[in-house]
Amino acid sequence: MTVSAIEKQEHGELTRREQTRARRTFRPYVDIIEHDAELTVLADMPGTSAEGIDINFENGTLTILGKVDERQSDDADVLSREFAVGDFHRTFQVSEAIDNERISAEYTDGVLVLHLPKAEKAKPRKISVKS
Amino acid sequence: MNLIPWRNKKSESDLAENDLRPTLRHFRSELDRMFDRFFSDPFDAWPDAFQMLRDWRPSLDLTETAQDVIVKAEMPGVDPKDIDVAISGNVLTISGEKRECAERTEGCCHQSERRFGGFRRSVQLPTSVDWEKVTAEHSNGVLTVRLQKLASSTPKRIHVKAR
Repeated sequence: MTVSAIEKQEHGELTRREQTRARRTFRPYVDIIEHDAELTVLADMPGTSAEGIDINFENGTLTILGKVDERQSDDADVLSREFAVGDFHRTFQVSEAIDNERISAEYTDGVLVLHLPKAEKAKPRKISVKS
Repeated sequence: MNLIPWRNKKSESDLAENDLRPTLRHFRSELDRMFDRFFSDPFDAWPDAFQMLRDWRPSLDLTETAQDVIVKAEMPGVDPKDIDVAISGNVLTISGEKRECAERTEGCCHQSERRFGGFRRSVQLPTSVDWEKVTAEHSNGVLTVRLQKLASSTPKRIHVKAR
């Protein structure tokens, strides 16, 4: 490895991967809500399934990937088409300290609900002042 | 240096030939139309850019096979109990409401892209359908309404005899 390559790696340029996919992907609409104990991510992802969703949290980067099965059959004549079918993909940088072990997610009626519990040290703590 | 054709320098007859009035009139009506459109529905003028500000409405997909007409609608986060499907004549109406969940109402919102509220969409069906044989199912945020065509409305081939 040349010196410049090492430098680049240190600056994080080589570690960032650009994803390429054969299918078209969509960015799901997302709500991010902060509670005292956790961050909740709600994503509208119609047409995928609990098994088809892949969530990855690594070094503060949250990646959501939802595989969507083709639901527009070829033998039918299309009269009107307002949406296209493709996978869902979105990446976030999470600056808050998250307790990796306790991340949980559920998928109901096409909405992914992702719970990212805050690490103990990041939770707000009330400090009482003694007189 | 002068790159703009200077009309004043031309003769009277030349001016009459290149009368600008129709062009100006056209331009003015075009401008008027633009303003009308903006004030009647400001978000419709640029549908994509203002999609987020509009009321929420599900996207529909209408397909047809030899026996059925199939309508699919993406409605993530809508409780199946809140969806109402109705047919009258050849018009299928899907209405309902997407309610905000408890997680959203409490806590501090960092990002809010999802839309909520009531919706109503009607589609004109291409043929008559059997009202008794309509099925609707909601799975993973996708509503599928399957309507069976009436036997009388399926196309019948008529043989042309040669004499």
